Amino acid sequence: MTKIGLEIHCQLTNLESKLFCPCKANYREYEPNTNICPICIGLPGSLPRLNQKAIEKASMIAMALNCSTPEKIAFFRKNYFYPDLPKNFQITQLNIYGDTSIGGLGYTMVGEKKIRITRVQLEEDPGRLIYEGSSSKNQTTLVDYNRAGTPLVEIVTEPDFENPKQVREFLNILSDLLQNLGVSDPSLEGAMRADANVSIEGGNKVEIKNIGSFHDLEKAIHFEITRQESLYSRNIPIVQETRHWDDRRKITISARSKEEELDYRYFLEGDIPWIRIDKDTQERLQKEMPESISSKKDRYVSKYGIPAQVADVLSSDKFYSDLFEQSHNEKNAKEIANIITTDLMGLVDTREKREQSKFTSKHLEELADAIQSGKITRNSAKNALYEIVKTGKDLTQIIAELDLGNVSDESEIEKIINEVISQEPQAVEQAKKNPQTINYLVGKVMQKTKGKADPKLTLDLLKNKIK
Amino acid sequence: MSLRISALEYVQEVQNGNISAEDYVSKTIEQINNVDENLHAFLQINSEAIDNARQIDKKIKSGKNVGACFGMPISIKDNICIKDSKTTCASNMLENFIAPYDATVISKLKQQDAIFVGKTNLDEFAMGLTTEFSAFGPSRNPWNLDYVPGGSSGGSAVSVSAFECLASLGSDTGGSVRNPASFCGVVGFKPTYGLISRFGLISYANSIEQIGPIARTVKDTAFILNMIAGLDPNDNTTIDNSNQDYLLGIDSGIEGKKIGIIKEMIGEGIDSAVMSATKNAISKFQGLGAVCEEVSLDMVKYSVAAYYTITATEAGSNLARYDNLRYGYDFPVEGYEFNSYISKARRKFGPEVTRRMILGGFVPSSGHAGKYFLKALKVKQKLTQEIDQLFKKYDFLIAPTVPVLPFKIGEKIDDPVALFLVDINTVTANLTGKPAISVPFEISNGLPIGIQIFANSNDDKSLLQAARALESTVKLPEVPI
Amino acid sequence: MVNEQEIEIVAKLMKIEIDDHKEYIDKVHAMIDYFDILDNAGVQDEEISMKDIPLSNLREDKHIPYEDKLIERLNNYKGTYVRAPKMI
Repeated sequence: MTKIGLEIHCQLTNLESKLFCPCKANYREYEPNTNICPICIGLPGSLPRLNQKAIEKASMIAMALNCSTPEKIAFFRKNYFYPDLPKNFQITQLNIYGDTSIGGLGYTMVGEKKIRITRVQLEEDPGRLIYEGSSSKNQTTLVDYNRAGTPLVEIVTEPDFENPKQVREFLNILSDLLQNLGVSDPSLEGAMRADANVSIEGGNKVEIKNIGSFHDLEKAIHFEITRQESLYSRNIPIVQETRHWDDRRKITISARSKEEELDYRYFLEGDIPWIRIDKDTQERLQKEMPESISSKKDRYVSKYGIPAQVADVLSSDKFYSDLFEQSHNEKNAKEIANIITTDLMGLVDTREKREQSKFTSKHLEELADAIQSGKITRNSAKNALYEIVKTGKDLTQIIAELDLGNVSDESEIEKIINEVISQEPQAVEQAKKNPQTINYLVGKVMQKTKGKADPKLTLDLLKNKIK
Repeated sequence: MSLRISALEYVQEVQNGNISAEDYVSKTIEQINNVDENLHAFLQINSEAIDNARQIDKKIKSGKNVGACFGMPISIKDNICIKDSKTTCASNMLENFIAPYDATVISKLKQQDAIFVGKTNLDEFAMGLTTEFSAFGPSRNPWNLDYVPGGSSGGSAVSVSAFECLASLGSDTGGSVRNPASFCGVVGFKPTYGLISRFGLISYANSIEQIGPIARTVKDTAFILNMIAGLDPNDNTTIDNSNQDYLLGIDSGIEGKKIGIIKEMIGEGIDSAVMSATKNAISKFQGLGAVCEEVSLDMVKYSVAAYYTITATEAGSNLARYDNLRYGYDFPVEGYEFNSYISKARRKFGPEVTRRMILGGFVPSSGHAGKYFLKALKVKQKLTQEIDQLFKKYDFLIAPTVPVLPFKIGEKIDDPVALFLVDINTVTANLTGKPAISVPFEISNGLPIGIQIFANSNDDKSLLQAARALESTVKLPEVPI
Repeated sequence: MVNEQEIEIVAKLMKIEIDDHKEYIDKVHAMIDYFDILDNAGVQDEEISMKDIPLSNLREDKHIPYEDKLIERLNNYKGTYVRAPKMI
């Protein structure tokens, strides 16, 4: 059986400041080395100043993954030399003196499959390296420390995945979970990264590092399984090693000789006392945690009778579920869920579109009311929504400007029905024989009114006419 | 006007208008110019010191609020950062390093109108106890120029002893304030771990070291402590001292107090002159109304081995950042591969630092951590438990600060294990986080002997009272400088 | 126990080039030998812990830009980068 385990690194992008200094946590908009200070650059004499909220958010992640949460957490130094590491050690967490990582054993469900979490730890992200020069001879390395010290949560799983598909599903669930907790925006470049370890039946564990995206992660796992199976079938032993993902050639390459030298000399970080997170604090954090995705989904189904599939889509995306929470009431909930999932999602399906769009939860509320009170048809509502997203104008204004209001004046509809009946004698005859086909005539009336005729009224009037 | 006054006397004299800050600071600079060529206490002199003093005099005359130091000349160990000035750690590696910020202790002293006359010599990165390991040459003991002044804050102790300043700040990782204070006949204080912010102190072994004042009297020590102690948001390991006034009630005496004499610190290898000084000190304490008895601190036997294991490990990590990429000396990266470049760049470390780096790679490595590093941490833990037990019964513990007299320059430099044993009485305070102070007590053959007093964590104030009580029984000859 | 090869490995790990291996072997060996007394301390059962502080003592999550153009005080390359040797 194939066994896959993951180490996922997730930046706490929604924090204001870095893990140990007040520089900006979201480093993305800065010119190189302009989001740095003596602490994150590791100048002599500087000391780490731990960010309280980073601990709270990391602890919430641990709780959401059903992990045990110790009452005291500790930080350690992982020592190795690399130019992106200003102090040449990384402040991280470990469980060598008891359970002192922010999260201990836990699990999360992927469908029916239980994925066990080994631990959750809080650590600092290194800076970024940029390679310059074409040949190996004239190559130099440029370093940008803007990212150095960004709060990073590492989630380590047991090797419980059996195939890349489960991995993908898990990562989707995790990504939604992090977003729902309000700790991270996984869509930001580099906000979520993962390493994997893969072993097949009868073989040793192989670690794959250096994987740039989740898309490549799946490819790397696929490649690795195929490579190992091929070795196995030819009776070549699969050695335990670390391999690097080659992004260009889309293969994994042995990095063994390099890794062998590494001896991280882990020991306690004396500049940070152990942090007490007592039971009261843990309860407070638990209370402050946003409602979980599954709890939201259950509530949507049981309280408002929203279909399970719709509730699922709605609850798992924080952007849409927040919108739903802000705009719905007992009466319009179903309608709002419907507008969001059938119309809005198509209109603002990318981050850019969301950011540019001008609609508010108030718009949704008004739109649902207008539909429910028969002011406009669903069809017109869709057109109105398009305008709202584009312009942010008031619904009443849009209805007036685009003439989207329902035609519910009986005499007016009757006039149009008469026109249709005279133009479509064949269809009228057919409808008399087979009442099902009357919808064709309703459609014609709608066409003539640009979808604004009250559909129920139109049907009733038509039925009366051609009885 | 004499330079030979205490810091508190200086404040008094300036306040009374008997002397000006400019006069005193000018004279101090003159003294440095006269004696420091031989002593080598200083690595740099602040060329603006006299100007600064003049400014403070103006402030005094204009009736504005003046800080408690009134322009007092203070020297600073060169591993503590002063903004826009060099902080070298007496290492070629940081020869050109200019700190972009003030250490917390420096900001606090600036607020109180202290004047920094210069940066003092130390063993490179504070690793040593003789100041011989400075990349810029050793300092000399003002009591006898052939002798080491102790270390690693040797320059600081020398500058205070030789009237080149009124007080100094050193750092104490395993005795680096108390040892040179003892060897130079001045007061050296290592506070409770966390009492003084380490922000801006260049780390050597950060889990056990503290900045500490060196002064000519216990009262001066308390005066300096008042200004620099307390919680600092820049250092997560600092503790809240509720703004205690360490001078208030410093003459309370020690009548009725219980004092334990640490048996393991007056045993094998102790110099007979040091032993007799210790006995005299015990009589003095008894004369002051304290009860003294011998106590045992079993883990002291293992303390030096634990101390060096822990410090080498932390130093190996703390000094890893010196790779010459972000700051350092001129050595272009062209043509080098990363590993070979930094291995070459780091050759600027002196031999003692290099030795401790090697040790610091060895003892915590995955193959040996269980044998050395973990056991060292456990010794530290157990030693702390033992001393905590003693403090349930005793108010203070005492021992000689150093079991031997100052020795000659060059005498022990090539024997690391012989040097280890010089540390045996001082490392306990660092490993356990307890406050300890060295009080100058006797002169033997023209060389000073200090007595060390320990107190329980956060009892720094009563420790200073005990030190003051002992000091009041002593009258030492003048330093022959 | 401490031989030339071991010193070489540790020197490599700590990224310090050394010339005189003999000098380091002798002195480091003497130090390590001395550390062997730790075996007699009988501390196997001790647990490691450290001083702890409550969560509420920590820094508030607030962005405060550093007031100084720090990169200008560092070894910089093309104005804004730090330059490192090649990584092969």
